[in-house]
Amino acid sequence: MILESLWRSLETSAVGEFVATNSWAFPTLETLHVIFLVTVVGTVAIMDLRLLGLASNQTAVTEMSRDTLPWTWVGFVGAAITGGLLFVSKSTTYVINPYFQIKMILLVLAGLNMAIFHVFTWRTVSTWDSETAVPLGGKIAGLLSLIFWVLVVFFGRAIGFTLGMFYV
Amino acid sequence: MSLSDLLYNFTEWLRGTWLTEFALSISDTSLSFWIVTNFWSIPIFQTIHILSIAAAFSATFMFSLRIFGIAGGSRTIAQNSRRYLPWAWWGLLFLAISGILMIIGEPVRELINPWFWIKMVAIVVLIVLSIWFQTRTIRSAAAAPSPWVASSAVKGGAIALLILWCFVIYCGRFIAYAPV
Repeated sequence: MILESLWRSLETSAVGEFVATNSWAFPTLETLHVIFLVTVVGTVAIMDLRLLGLASNQTAVTEMSRDTLPWTWVGFVGAAITGGLLFVSKSTTYVINPYFQIKMILLVLAGLNMAIFHVFTWRTVSTWDSETAVPLGGKIAGLLSLIFWVLVVFFGRAIGFTLGMFYV
Repeated sequence: MSLSDLLYNFTEWLRGTWLTEFALSISDTSLSFWIVTNFWSIPIFQTIHILSIAAAFSATFMFSLRIFGIAGGSRTIAQNSRRYLPWAWWGLLFLAISGILMIIGEPVRELINPWFWIKMVAIVVLIVLSIWFQTRTIRSAAAAPSPWVASSAVKGGAIALLILWCFVIYCGRFIAYAPV
């Protein structure tokens, strides 16, 4: 299959081989991945708790978003780059791992949840910006976001414990 | 002498201390046995550990952004500290609980490990410096005429603490890679 050869060529690329063979590269990338991902999860959770009316209720929703969202993106881009570099070192092993597959699906769901919130619920934000109680759509988005990100962390960690347990 | 040699010698030294016997006695407990025989226990403890880092690190980060005047500007330092700092300290408590469970599950791998002890020392330094830094900053902000502007010493302190956090995370990840 064409995809299979793509995964194999990533693995045998110079970058893939460096990450796989250099004894410091993989754990260092993992550490950076952790630092970026805790920034994503932490800043996302701060916004989610505001949407759920559980914290920062005295602060406007738009201000909370301005304070957290840029850092969520910094963290996300960093986690994506470091995660990508980890991925190329063992691409063929990762793609067939069900925990990896579920994690990718959860990331897409978390992204869709955020997109739907920003396209629809956010349109009327000026009318509820300073309210403790945000519209139901916002609360659902906040709750789903917390659930998705907790699961992303769990499935991410599960990958490390199950690599090599699955074969094509 | 290379860093790897240094770490190796550190491990050898740890092996000769009472820690080895202590670690083995932990592995004889029924809780340790339960963790070892339940495949998902360690990944779940590690998930709780990472989520706790997310809470504690991001709370420290948001408080630091306020010091730099980048975020939380509509609230005072005191208000920001009340919003975020409890998450840092509660996060630390959950880090300790999940960390202790990981030690009970894999006592030799953790206690006879140079990265583990480097991490422990770094955490003690981080805790002491954080308490000192936070109380001093909150007090000086409360005493200053508003709007309070952080001195470069305070800004430097905030950055130093974030770097120390990253170092602790680094040591934590490397525990898994030290040959025991």
